[in-house]
Amino acid sequence: MEKMSRVTTALGGSALTGRTMHCHLDAPANAISVCRDAAQVVVAGRSIFKIYAIEDEQFVEKLNLRVGRKPSLNLSCADVVWHQMDENLLATAATNGVVVTWNLGRPSRNKQDQLFTEHKRTVNKVCFHPTEAHVLLSGSQDGFMKCFDLRRKDSVSTFSGQSESVRDVQFSIRDYFTFASTFENGNVQLWDIRRPDRCERMFTAHNGPVFCCDWHPEDRGWLATGGRDKMVKVWDMTTHRAKEVHCVQTIASVARVKWRPECRHHLATCSMMVDHNIYVWDVRRPFVPAAMFEEHRDVTTGIAWRHPHDPSFLLSGSKDSTLCQHLFRDASQPVERANPEGLCYGLFGDLAFAAKESLVSTESGRKPYAGDRRHPIFFKRKLDPAEPFVGLASSALSVFEMEPGSGSMSWFVDTAERYALAGRPLAELCDHNAKVARELGRNQVAQTWTMLRVIYSSPGLASAASLNHSVGKGSSCGLPLMNSFNLKDMAPGLGSETRLDRSKGDTRSDTVLLDSSTTLITNEDNEETEGSDVPADYLLGDVEGEEDELYLLDPEHAHPEEPEYVLPQEAFPLRHEIVDTPPGPEHLQDKADSPHVSGSEADAASLAPVDSSFSLISVSHALYDTRLPPDFFSALVCDMLRFYAEQGDVQMAVSVLIVLGERVRKDIDEQTQEHWYTSYIDLLQRFCLWNVSNQVVKLSTSRAISCLNQASTTLHVNCSHCKRPMSSRGWVCDRCHRCASMCAVCHHVVKGLFVWCQGCSHGGHLQHIMKWLEGSSHCPAGCGHLCEYS
Amino acid sequence: MFVARHIAADHKDLIHDVSFDFHGRRMATCSSDQSVKVWDKSESGDWHCTASWKTHSGSVWRVTWAHPEFGQVLASCSFDRTAAVWEEIVGESNDKLRGQSHWVKRTTLVDSRTSVTDVKFAPKHMGLMLATCSADGIVRIYEAPDVMNLSQWSLQHEISCKLSCSCISWNPSSSRAHSPMIAVGSDDSSPNAMAKVQIFEYNENTRKYTKAETLMTVTDPVHDIAFAPNLGRSFHILAIATKDVRIFTLKPVRKELTSSGGPTKFEIHIVAQFDNHNSQVWRVSWNITGTVLASSGDDGCVRLWKANYMDNWKCTGILKGNGSPVNGNSQQGNSNPSLGSNIPNLQNSLNGSSSGRKHS
Repeated sequence: MEKMSRVTTALGGSALTGRTMHCHLDAPANAISVCRDAAQVVVAGRSIFKIYAIEDEQFVEKLNLRVGRKPSLNLSCADVVWHQMDENLLATAATNGVVVTWNLGRPSRNKQDQLFTEHKRTVNKVCFHPTEAHVLLSGSQDGFMKCFDLRRKDSVSTFSGQSESVRDVQFSIRDYFTFASTFENGNVQLWDIRRPDRCERMFTAHNGPVFCCDWHPEDRGWLATGGRDKMVKVWDMTTHRAKEVHCVQTIASVARVKWRPECRHHLATCSMMVDHNIYVWDVRRPFVPAAMFEEHRDVTTGIAWRHPHDPSFLLSGSKDSTLCQHLFRDASQPVERANPEGLCYGLFGDLAFAAKESLVSTESGRKPYAGDRRHPIFFKRKLDPAEPFVGLASSALSVFEMEPGSGSMSWFVDTAERYALAGRPLAELCDHNAKVARELGRNQVAQTWTMLRVIYSSPGLASAASLNHSVGKGSSCGLPLMNSFNLKDMAPGLGSETRLDRSKGDTRSDTVLLDSSTTLITNEDNEETEGSDVPADYLLGDVEGEEDELYLLDPEHAHPEEPEYVLPQEAFPLRHEIVDTPPGPEHLQDKADSPHVSGSEADAASLAPVDSSFSLISVSHALYDTRLPPDFFSALVCDMLRFYAEQGDVQMAVSVLIVLGERVRKDIDEQTQEHWYTSYIDLLQRFCLWNVSNQVVKLSTSRAISCLNQASTTLHVNCSHCKRPMSSRGWVCDRCHRCASMCAVCHHVVKGLFVWCQGCSHGGHLQHIMKWLEGSSHCPAGCGHLCEYS
Repeated sequence: MFVARHIAADHKDLIHDVSFDFHGRRMATCSSDQSVKVWDKSESGDWHCTASWKTHSGSVWRVTWAHPEFGQVLASCSFDRTAAVWEEIVGESNDKLRGQSHWVKRTTLVDSRTSVTDVKFAPKHMGLMLATCSADGIVRIYEAPDVMNLSQWSLQHEISCKLSCSCISWNPSSSRAHSPMIAVGSDDSSPNAMAKVQIFEYNENTRKYTKAETLMTVTDPVHDIAFAPNLGRSFHILAIATKDVRIFTLKPVRKELTSSGGPTKFEIHIVAQFDNHNSQVWRVSWNITGTVLASSGDDGCVRLWKANYMDNWKCTGILKGNGSPVNGNSQQGNSNPSLGSNIPNLQNSLNGSSSGRKHS
């Protein structure tokens, strides 16, 4: 409302109304100019010269000034200007160097008034004096500016810029006699119209051509210039030397610049190449345009504010043959769309956060809006010309760091460095890793390692460990010794049990039982403890009737231990397999008799059958050792690994994968494994854990991973004596027939790290040299040099 | 516990993006003042600006690091319609003495006719590739065929999104089972309620990117989008910054079930949606393991989100831009208001999910 009333007064009773609109022209426009009544606009171009009335809803063509049958070059306009005092007076600059004035008051169709053919080349710009009715100024490609008095037939005075083509001339609005001109070579000149001999002042404003300039409508000292260097500069001309007060960097060369009425710091620009948009800048915020008009599809050639006291209507003509009226409130505002915040999660759990200062600081003063959560704290602000400028926007940058003690990724680094993945028995690896995890306070992981150890480590060791747990739960047979997880114990357990049944009252059975359950059940063991053969025979050769007993027995013993555990059932099918093996019946008779009746004799006699059953036993052990647990647990373990991977702890997945090796590998598809490996290696490399990463690469069984370290590494060796490349024949040089790079201490060829003294160039294996230097500081080669190693 | 370390950025206008490098020791910032600054972390943990240079002739929207295998390389994109690739020059110079490093422009990508709003390097296993998106709705994928020559980039793909694009994110998964995938967000604010997030997938057979999915439920302008790092997951997690924070999971439907050759189909679920910022959310960023999401909004706060063992996402921390603790998150009745007690929980839950139960 306020704006409207102000506009109304400025216009003497008629408010400006309108909307964003455009109309199609017949030809590309080169320039536009507005009549002082703000109701008409003239469009001029190479083949167009028309006047349009600006109505509320549309542009209406009022007059076509291109009349006559044959097109004249005089009508090919580079620029047009409408006199701001006389509604009937127009001037055009033609590409052939002619300056034409037009009088709309002429009754004939042809409104052409005067013709000045004084410039030799294209006239780039014409400009009426803001207060003088008859004074016209022109600037031309030929380097001259001419001042015309429209009451005379030729120019009043000629100004020579002495510096290439003139791109723009503009009368100062406040200084009656002053005008500014801009030049192709980057200069700006200030002239007094009474003194054509030399310019008042000259300075270099831009790199490359200065295409345009505009005097500030209110501030008498300010001149804005725009150049091919994509800059708009605002100069304070009141001081002795022209002082650059503002500099706006645009994204393309600046073809036109126009101060926005009623907005002291705003100016509009358009470009002559690449960029079709019109920008309005606040010179105090020189990096981001305050508003942007994106209607044109080709280069915008002319811009004009519709009324010298109204900031909301902008007119523009373009090479795309359209004439547009832009309403400021319809402009897009890059400032509003620009992202005011930056956020990045760091490797160590630290957060970098940059935010617009107003967002961060005003918040602290504002009371929390706990009640009304829907309150829109952010709404699109209209750029109101009256709005006081809040100052340059700036951002606060801060990094939120984890305190050293709670560094969120330190567990990863520690774990990676301390885990043992290979080189020791499985149980030790698991124990070690569990310990590491526990020390780092990762109890679940530690527990997992312990469980893995119990599941997978060999039965003897496991039962020895489980002995501790199950002391006091003893029952008559070996089964109580078994840990509930530990299926492998089933084999010796059952074996000893059957033995127990078979040789009742035999004192030996107790000791054997202990032996078999505490020592590893391997082939060697079986050989050593003769007794274990016997039950094995029995186990195989026992009649069908007793089998059922066994079946019944086992669950009974197993269940009290771990009722919810389903292991025993799983175990039995395996039994069937063994029992059903073909060799059974034949040997049955022999064995049933042999151990029973005659001890050692039968042993000797039935050597062959015992052996065969023996192999069977070992097969059954083998089955127990490798097949049963994976069959039963692998699904669980795989699920566990997947769980860890999905929880983001790929470290655990890969570590377990490596430690367990073949035990689980085949149950997880190759692609998943590869994914885990690559992810983990990537993580390790992020933390610069190169050694661990290499170890993982080396230990991985996935072909795609293990070849990572073999790619693009070539070792070229030159002979240390003749400096020629060594052939592939080894470490003896072909040419000088000497061994290359001998160790001065051990006199062998050094094939790995070679360390040498830069003084005497003797050296050798790193360890050898280090050891040598502990005892002597002289060169080991005997050259007498006091070697220095840094 | 977080400690806020304030840095005098000395940018002359808004900072639009911050980016850590692969090892987390360097940081790049970009601003509307048309410059990019590189910050290096000293032994004492301070951040020092080691380079600051004018990169574009318009606001620089985004800056991003390439994998260090390709050198110290940055890419930036700007309002001036270009994206640029920068490389740090190693060598003896006066700059070194002043603790400054020298960055040179290796290439300018000028294909866009409008503001380039995001630029992202592809995951390393894809080679040296770069994706840009622009306000005219086109995603462009460039490749440097020779990784030693950063000045040669060929435009491999142009994907038309029909909507003004604001952000892109590569799927970081290194699994062979996952074909290259890129998610695009749009900040188109026109009133029509079109889906603002599209996901494109590379098809090995046609050698083209085709649209795999559109997140139909996201109809408000999207300002940022981020795939979570995928360390061995079979599915993908996507975070979206729009008028609220949203987290989606995308589970690939088994290839055998779909017709071979076509794009992968996904089961898409929204697993979290938070409007705690009470305003526009501008940025989302995942931690390195893809378990914690940080978001920042117009309320000037950073909020941290984490899933518990039940896959329920909860706020685990709030950080104020100026480092002061945040009170008054009344809607978070069960969460501790102060920072100090929140973060240890976060730490625990990072270590294993069992501890997650404790504060669930």
